[in-house]
Amino acid sequence: MKTKRLAELSMLTAVALIIFIIELRIPDILTVPGVKLGLANIITVYAVYRFNAKEVCLVVFTRVILGTVFSANFSAIIYSLAGAVLCLVGMLGVKKIISQRYIWLSSIIGAILHNTGQIVAAILIMRSFAVAVYYPMLIIAGCIAGMFTGICAQLIVSRKLPEK
Amino acid sequence: MTKQVKICLVLVTVIVIAAIAALLIIMQPHSKSGNENNYIEIIQDNEVLCIIDLNSESDRTFRIEYNGGWNEIKIESGTICISDADCPDRTCVKSGVLKYKNLPIICLPHRLVVRFADSEQNGG
Repeated sequence: MKTKRLAELSMLTAVALIIFIIELRIPDILTVPGVKLGLANIITVYAVYRFNAKEVCLVVFTRVILGTVFSANFSAIIYSLAGAVLCLVGMLGVKKIISQRYIWLSSIIGAILHNTGQIVAAILIMRSFAVAVYYPMLIIAGCIAGMFTGICAQLIVSRKLPEK
Repeated sequence: MTKQVKICLVLVTVIVIAAIAALLIIMQPHSKSGNENNYIEIIQDNEVLCIIDLNSESDRTFRIEYNGGWNEIKIESGTICISDADCPDRTCVKSGVLKYKNLPIICLPHRLVVRFADSEQNGG
């Protein structure tokens, strides 16, 4: 990997982490387990459309692991990782079909997949289907947040870094 | 807009509509006035810890320990809530009083579920 690429990816991860930490300070709008704004995913969506699969995975997994360390909520890492894996697989696939003009749509698909991963992980960990009733709520909240992050990412993707 | 994008858009719309419909079914308040039973199940790690009849239970608070952590459950005039906990997200405390028939209070870090016992057939 070129040094420039590495620096660019590191900077993106740092930005994502900063957004993540600021978001921790925002009070929850809905008191539903698993619902979050997920503003840091603006960076995820941006990275999916700008870098290759390996680089996106590096950015996202570093962010999830460091984010867990910073928020000190270690029980959440399994849900985050399950969501992130499913979301990444889905989005990297959907990227081939959905062009840059409809990033918001592919971001919504990513959000739905993220929530699906979370719920599956929760069902497996709790060994009970009781959590599954929260799935519709997660989907609706996820679609709204996903569309917002998607629109934000769409605004950034069209801009280019100055070449020097 | 290509055909594939349209298919994705329709798919997403269908999922959202289905989720809204499911939400309307889930968000039915538990009717206390009817002669329905008012039994509460407290489940941890998929084991029923206790079943409480809210109609006859006196007001009290008690703690449920889990791997060094705890949740404080409060019963007050026929309602139940998690009043305090030492889990990192405290979503269970913020959820407030258990009022929807099919919507349990959940504490993910402590694997705790508080729900109406008659929601068993709906909740799986």
